[in-house]
Amino acid sequence: MRNCFRTPFVCAASCFLVLPFVIACGSRVASGNPQAAAPPDLNGVWSAPFTPDISKALGHQPPFTPYGAARFAKEDEFDDPLTKCLPIGPARGIQAGIMPFQIVQTPSVFTILFENQHTFRIIHTDGRSHPKDVDATWFGDSIGKWDGNTLVVDTVGIDDRTWLDTAGHEHSDQLHLVERFQKVDNNTIQWTATFEDPKFFTEPWSITLPVARQNTEIMSYSCEENEKDRAHLRRTKK
Amino acid sequence: MRTTSSIILRLAFFLLCMSSPVFAHHGFSVEFDKDNPLTLTGTVTKMEFMNPHIYFYLDVKGKDGKVVNWAFEGGPPNVIYRQGWRKDTLKPGDVVTVKGFRAKDGAHLAACSTVKLPDGREMSAGSGGVSQNAYGSAAGADGKK
Repeated sequence: MRNCFRTPFVCAASCFLVLPFVIACGSRVASGNPQAAAPPDLNGVWSAPFTPDISKALGHQPPFTPYGAARFAKEDEFDDPLTKCLPIGPARGIQAGIMPFQIVQTPSVFTILFENQHTFRIIHTDGRSHPKDVDATWFGDSIGKWDGNTLVVDTVGIDDRTWLDTAGHEHSDQLHLVERFQKVDNNTIQWTATFEDPKFFTEPWSITLPVARQNTEIMSYSCEENEKDRAHLRRTKK
Repeated sequence: MRTTSSIILRLAFFLLCMSSPVFAHHGFSVEFDKDNPLTLTGTVTKMEFMNPHIYFYLDVKGKDGKVVNWAFEGGPPNVIYRQGWRKDTLKPGDVVTVKGFRAKDGAHLAACSTVKLPDGREMSAGSGGVSQNAYGSAAGADGKK
């Protein structure tokens, strides 16, 4: 306190900085909801390791149904929707690795802007539920709820033309994707994705990737700008 | 505890990145042959610093004296821009040496892993440093079953 009197400017500045938090804490207690802490701030540019074969992150192949196994056995990178410049899909967008994504977070919506193909996800965090009848879209219908330092995102209605990776792991229109964006520290998010699809998999399975903050900005991208590869692609399977 | 888990996550991220290939919109093995590496020296005729991959072209003189114009594909411009590439890193008239892997269809086309510039610098055209052969590592870790 003596030091404070000696440096009144510092004291005043400290009070100015601390006061809003004191008021915020007070209002939470007054409202009878001490649990309702503000969610962590995940705004920024992030990137996860590029994961071209999701089974490598899992440690083994997913628990295929006979139908899922047969589909995977005959699938070929030649048919990857990305070779046709189609959208990357919700989970694969996170795994795109070499191209970062930007999180723009507000109280009612959590947006992920992908550099890859300049696509985006809108995750509603305003308490709504999924619509009763969801029409399949490239990134599905996503709703999110904060669980402490973790945003839990529930996505359904994902277009079955998207793949889960480059290696050819597919899914059906019954895919139910649950992701957990857990803030580890200011520069790290632990991302866990759980895939549930009774047509392709016998049980839900999950992968976890570290997502690191990037000292960059997302940049322009247009897959069709100078696409020259398609004419040279060859099937990798007989 | 939090610090420990953070370090582990970052280490895992680093290790995974070290083996990361550079594919914007197609797998390596669907277009290029990892068993057909090549090293060619030639004169730059054109540079296309565009999406989804950069392309540049070299006039390469063969043993028979004939000049063939080769096309080389690198990583996405965004990715290699962050590694120091610019639109004019390769200029028409530059004589450079390229290491890469030839296209499976036999065209005069190759995936470029590194380029040795006229000033002696060797630049990765992929996701890593000079010592990291992006397409080379990609050929072994390209998600193939």
